[in-house]
Formats: sequence, C-alpha cells, structure tokens
Amino acid sequence: MSEQSFSDVPMEKPKTVPAWLQHLIVFSVFIGIWEMAVQLNWVSALILPSPFAVVFAWWDLAVVRALIWDDFFVTLTEVMVGFGFGAAFGTVIAVSSVMLPTFRRLVSPYMVALQVTPRIAVAPIIVAWLGFGMEPKIAIAAIICFFPIFINTLTGLMQVDEDRMEMFASMRANRWQIFRHLQLPGAMPIIMAGYKTGISLALIGAIVGEFVSASVGLGVRIQQFSYQLLLPQAFACLIMLTVMGLTLYGAASLVDRHVVFWKHDALLAKISRKLRTRYTDLLSRDRSGSAVTKTA
Amino acid sequence: MTATAKIHDLRSASEAHETVVTGHNVRMEFPGPVIALEDATFGIRKGEFVSLIGPSGCGKSTLLRMVAGLLNPTGGRISVNGTPMVGPRAEIGMMFQKATLLDWKPVLDNVLLPNTLAGRVTNADRERAVDLLHMVGLKGFEFAFPRQLSGGMQQRVALARLLNSGADVLLLDEPFGALDEFTRERLNIELMRIQAQIGATIVFVTHNIQEAVFLADRVFVMTPRPGRIAAEVEVNLPRPRTIEQMKSPEFTETAFNIRDTLGGFI
Repeated sequence: MSEQSFSDVPMEKPKTVPAWLQHLIVFSVFIGIWEMAVQLNWVSALILPSPFAVVFAWWDLAVVRALIWDDFFVTLTEVMVGFGFGAAFGTVIAVSSVMLPTFRRLVSPYMVALQVTPRIAVAPIIVAWLGFGMEPKIAIAAIICFFPIFINTLTGLMQVDEDRMEMFASMRANRWQIFRHLQLPGAMPIIMAGYKTGISLALIGAIVGEFVSASVGLGVRIQQFSYQLLLPQAFACLIMLTVMGLTLYGAASLVDRHVVFWKHDALLAKISRKLRTRYTDLLSRDRSGSAVTKTA
Repeated sequence: MTATAKIHDLRSASEAHETVVTGHNVRMEFPGPVIALEDATFGIRKGEFVSLIGPSGCGKSTLLRMVAGLLNPTGGRISVNGTPMVGPRAEIGMMFQKATLLDWKPVLDNVLLPNTLAGRVTNADRERAVDLLHMVGLKGFEFAFPRQLSGGMQQRVALARLLNSGADVLLLDEPFGALDEFTRERLNIELMRIQAQIGATIVFVTHNIQEAVFLADRVFVMTPRPGRIAAEVEVNLPRPRTIEQMKSPEFTETAFNIRDTLGGFI
C-alpha cells in the first residue's frame, strides 16, 4: 500500500467567507434588528427589553452585585444530581430488562404508564413529599430525564445484529461475554443519544421544580423578576439558563464523541497512530520465517 | 488427469474412515411445518474442500448451521471427529456473508476475539494474530478500524479471526457473496492457498456453480422442496487451481454436470 492516501492531499478550497464569520454576521443582524425594534418603538421596551438593556442587567446581576451565582449553582447542582439519578435508574432498569425477560415482562406496563402520564404533573406531589429544598427539584429532574435514557438503553441493547450473535454463539461465548463484548458496545451510540436528550430534560425538570416552590435557583429568579416586570433581569437569567444548557449538552456531546469514537474518522486515525506506536515491537519484527502452519 | 464428474453413491463416502464430518439421515423440520432438509447422509474427509451448492431454500445454510452446532437436527445425527454434535465446538469455526467485525475494536483485537473470549490474550497470541494478518494479506492494517476498510479487506479480517480460533473445520456461508467479482476471485484463490498451507477441512456454501467447481474437491448439489443432497460431484482438477483451468473442457463438463443435476430447480 502507498504511504500517502488521497485524504492527505490538501484540497483546493473555494475562497468563501469563513463559517465563523457567517455565524457572526447572522447573529449581528439578529441583534441589530432587535435593538432597532426597541429603539424605534416598534415594540415597547417594557414588553421587550433591548439587547443592551439585557446585557446591562446581566452585568449588574452577575458582576457588579454578584447576586445570581448562588442561584446558578443551585440550579446546576439540581440538574446534575437529578441527571445522575435518572441516568443510573434508567440504565440499571434497562439492563435488567434486557438480561431478565421475566423482569421485562413485569415492569414494562409501569414503564408505559410512566411514559403516558405527563411527568410534570407529579411536581406538586413531589414537593409535598420532599419539602422546599433541593431534593424535590432533583427528584423531578430525575423522573423527567429517566425515560429517554431507559428507552434508548433498552432499544440499543435489544437490537443486536443476528449475524454477530450467531458468530458469538459459534465461538461459544456465554451470556455475559455477549453482553460485554457485543451488546453493550454496539448499543453505546443509542445509549449516549439517550443521555444527551436526558441532560436537557433534567434542566427542564429542575426549573419546573423551582417554579412549583423554591427560594433559590434561576427558575425562581425568572419568576420574581417577571412578576416585578423587571424584564431585562428576567432575560439575563434566561440567558444564563441557555448558557447552562449549552454547556451541559456540549459536555455530553464531548463524552459521546469519545465513548462512540469509532463513528468519527478523525478520532480513528488518531487512535490507530497511537496503537501503532505502542506496539512498534510487535509490528517491526521480521516475520519471513514465521509462516503459520497447522495448529496442534 | 481425467476430469469426469461422477455421481457417487451417497452412502459410500460416509463410510470411509478418514472422514471428519459425517451425517446420517439428517432431517430438519421447522414449525409450520417446513421441511428444510431431509435424509441427508454425507461424509467429509480430513483436509477436503467441499462446496455446497443449490438454489435458495434448498437447506444449504441450514445444513451448515447444523454442522456448526448452532441448530439441532430434528432427525438423524451429525458427528464431527467421531463425537455427535450437541452444540458449538472449538474445532469448528464459521464465517458469514457479512464480516461481522466489531467496529469498536482495531483489526488486531478483532482477530484476537477468540482469545478474548477464552479469557486472556498473551503476547504470543498477538504475535500469532499479526502472522495471520500477514497471511491474509493485511500487513500494515493491524491497527486500522473496520470502517476504514473495504468490504474485501473486512472479509480478510474475518478469515484471520476464524483461523485464529484454532478451528480445523471451517464452515463458510457465502463468505465472499457480497463482494465484487474481481475481489471474490482473488479471495477464493487466497483461500485455497491458505487451506493448502494449514490443511483445514472446508465446507463452502455458494450459489455460483463456477465458484463451487473452481474451489472444491467435491461439490454437494442440493435441491429444494424438501431440501436434500441430490448428488455429490467429484472435481478432478489438479491443484493449485488457476483461473486458466476454468477454460478447460474438464471444468466446463463438471459445471454442466452440476447444472443438469439441478435441472428444473434453476
């Protein structure tokens, strides 16, 4: 094989505006129209605060008075712990369902019931049980993000390629080995997609919990500011939530990329190189004399 | 060497004493009821290359899976190395039309899968796996990943994995059926070279008459409804086989003989 492949040859790129600049232009136009709409009184500043008003409000809340960081971290903690519980329960119940058909048969009606019940509706009940601290928000976040994680894990583990199953059977693999070496890695792309959906849902769960009853948290702040018609402040908190959501989703995507590395050609090339370096000895040995002959 | 294809008495072959795989009145009935295979009696000798040929529904894949121990016959019995089959065994390995590689493992680890399942992978195992990869023509691809390989290369990896399992009865179910004509031809020639080198017994399922004759010492011709072995055709072409032999009158005669046996079924 030749040392250089086609992908190594740099392609002539057509000269266009770089992607980041395109995004910046679209963003600026959007913000510009928004600012103009407020400045020219197309909409009342009382209803829609201008972008600058929002930025000033954020600067005041986050930097000058540093008021909202406690709320930010309380909400973040609720989301992460809630996601942790939801993911743990979803994964364990899904794996048990796959490994134990009887368990699956007995549990599945409840899973369907849980799916069709609007899970947000349990929020007041959970608050009645767990009080006004972080616990009910964590519980609601966990309940809401549980389902996609459970369903994706179950689906992923159940849909195994028949031919690979047969190949493992012909190699006399046991139940655990099939799970460990075939089902679980094969299901990882779908399981990780479930986690990515779950982390966004956990954020919704935490905010819903805060709306029902709380004294700290970004959801609480948005409610308070909105009631007082301090819309720039409410928007500032909303943007904090957007940033939190993006960060969590970004982190999940990054984990996904490294767990499901085999779907990404760039990562594969890197791992191949690393392995080749680690096993230089194995590869560089002279094998001219070592013809594999009939095994004993 | 004469290359007259002879249709043998079905029972004589299975009585020869160097047979590795024997089947006596093997029958497979699936719920329905569908009789997938009826009254199959055969013997496969040590180091022999047998092709199973027939139209779809003739039970060739069913027969192969029973020899692999993946299916239990509903009647008759199959023995390998003198022991009746009750389930998959170490000395029998199987390869499929799809490469069935694990996308998350580099080529070397895919080849080492039998060792992984056996519980441990030693340096000697790794050395052997690299040797096998050289043998199937994949030098330099030890740490590539399956999705970076072409279909033909993936099947080469599957073949190396099969050889690494230590099996000496190799059951191949249309292994190169999904590949293009040229790649298939090249892999067929390499398969025969490798067989000559390691002395394995091969049962090769195909629905291509030319391929069946080109590869095999004997061709089992199977017919459907119900599936049965209609004839065993001897191929008396010298080895190593070359593409040139496909032009010979002997080759053509054998191929037409098989075609005639299949008769109205194709």
